[in-house]
Amino acid sequence: MTLLAPDAATPTLTIRVEEFEGPLDLLLHLCRTNAIDLARLPIRTVTDQYLAHLEAIQFQDVESAGAFLVLAATLIYLKSKLLLPADEGAPEELDEEGEALRLELEARLREYARVKALGGWLAAREAEQALRWARPRGELPAAEEIPLEDLSVDLLARAFDRLVTEQRRRAPRAVEPEPPSVLERMAEIVSLLRSTWSLLFSTVVGTERERAELVVTFLALLELVRLGRARAQQTELFGDIVIERGREEVLTDAGTD
Amino acid sequence: MPEPIDVVEALLFASDVPVEADRIREVLDLSSADEARALVGGLRERYAARDSALEIVEAGGGYRMLTRPEVAPWLVRLARSRTRARLSRPALETLAIVAYRQPASRPDIDAIRGVNSEGVLDNLMEKRMVRIAGRKEAPGRPFLYETTREFLVAFGLRDLGDLPQVEGELAVPDAVVVAPTDGDASQQDPGAGGADEPARG
Repeated sequence: MTLLAPDAATPTLTIRVEEFEGPLDLLLHLCRTNAIDLARLPIRTVTDQYLAHLEAIQFQDVESAGAFLVLAATLIYLKSKLLLPADEGAPEELDEEGEALRLELEARLREYARVKALGGWLAAREAEQALRWARPRGELPAAEEIPLEDLSVDLLARAFDRLVTEQRRRAPRAVEPEPPSVLERMAEIVSLLRSTWSLLFSTVVGTERERAELVVTFLALLELVRLGRARAQQTELFGDIVIERGREEVLTDAGTD
Repeated sequence: MPEPIDVVEALLFASDVPVEADRIREVLDLSSADEARALVGGLRERYAARDSALEIVEAGGGYRMLTRPEVAPWLVRLARSRTRARLSRPALETLAIVAYRQPASRPDIDAIRGVNSEGVLDNLMEKRMVRIAGRKEAPGRPFLYETTREFLVAFGLRDLGDLPQVEGELAVPDAVVVAPTDGDASQQDPGAGGADEPARG
C-alpha cells in the first residue's frame, strides 16, 4: 500500500521584489529583458534604461547607492563618447579607450552572469537537500580531540564582541540594595522543588543576572546539594544547570503520600 | 555475531557527521578503504532492494544515512514546520564565488558582485558555510575565504569536483591531493581522490 503524500498540492506563494542585488544585477536584468547579446552591449539603450531604473530605486544606504552610481558614471562616460547622432541600427563606434572600457564591462557582466547561474544551481541543490533528513544529533559522546580546523580567531573575536555588547546593553541598571541571603535562596529553591521535579539554574536567578545574585544562588545550590536536599547536573560545559530534588526529598515525599 | 556490513550500518546510523571510508576502515580494522567502500556499496544495494525509506549518500568526503526525498512530506509534518531556513540569493551567489575561486578575498568577491559583500560573508561564516583561510599578501592584507565541509554536506556534494564545470575565470580549484594513508596506498580509488580533501587540517 502506498500512502498519499500530505499537502501534495501546496499552493506556491511567489513574492516578487523589485530590487536588484547590485548594479551588475540591474544591468544584467536589462540585457536579459531586452534580449541583448552581451558581446554587443548597446551603450545608448542600456544607459538610458539604467538611469531610468536608478531613479526608481530606493536606496537603503549610501554605500549601495554609491555602487550603482559608479556604474552609472561609467555608462554615461561611454555614452558621451557616442554623442554624435547615429542612424538607428548603425553599429556604435567607440574610440580605443571607450572600447576597452566596454570590453571590461562586458567581461564583468559575463562573469556576474556565471555567478548568478551558479547561485541558481546551488539554490536548486539546497532545495533538493532540504527533502532529505539526517539524524539531527548523534548521541555519541564528543570526540576527545577537539577539531580545530573550523575554529578561528575571528570566531573568538566575534564571541567576545557579542559578550561586550550584551554587557553594554544592560549597563544602566538599579543598584540592588541588598542581595538575598544564601539561606533565603535555599528556602526559595526548596519550595520551588516542592512543586516541580526539576528546574533550571537560570530560571532561579531570574533575568537580571546580577553577579551578587548569581553567587548567592550558586552557593545556595551547593549547600542544598551538600545537605542532600537537591541534586544538580550540567550536561555541557557552560550550559545551564539542572536542579532536581534530592534523594531525601523524593523519599520523604513518597512517605507522606 | 554481526556481519561487518551491519556494523557499517550502525556507524552510519550513529554518526551525525559523514563517515569517511578511511574512518570505517579504521573502526572495523579493515585492510583498505576500498573494502570499506565495498561494504557501503553492499549496504546501499540492500536498502535499494527493499525500497527502504533510508539511503546512504556520499557527501563532504564521507557517507551519511539520509531519508529519501519521497518521505519528506511526512517528515515535514513530524517537524511541524514547512521549510527549513534557506540561504538568500546574494548569499548563494557569494558562496558560489568562494566555492569556485577559493581562497577568495573580499575585494575579489566585491569586484565580481559589484557590491559590498561584508554582511553576506559574515552571515555565511556564522552558518559555517565558509571560513577564513588566511590573509592575502595584497594591500590591506584582506582575509581569504574558503568553503567548509559543512558547505559540502549542506549541498550534498561529495567534494568540490561535484560543482558544475564552468568556462572562464571561475575555474574549479585543483583538489588538494593528500598523501594516501598507509592502509590503502596501493588501491587508491582515483574517483575518490577529492574525498580526502575536506579532511585536511
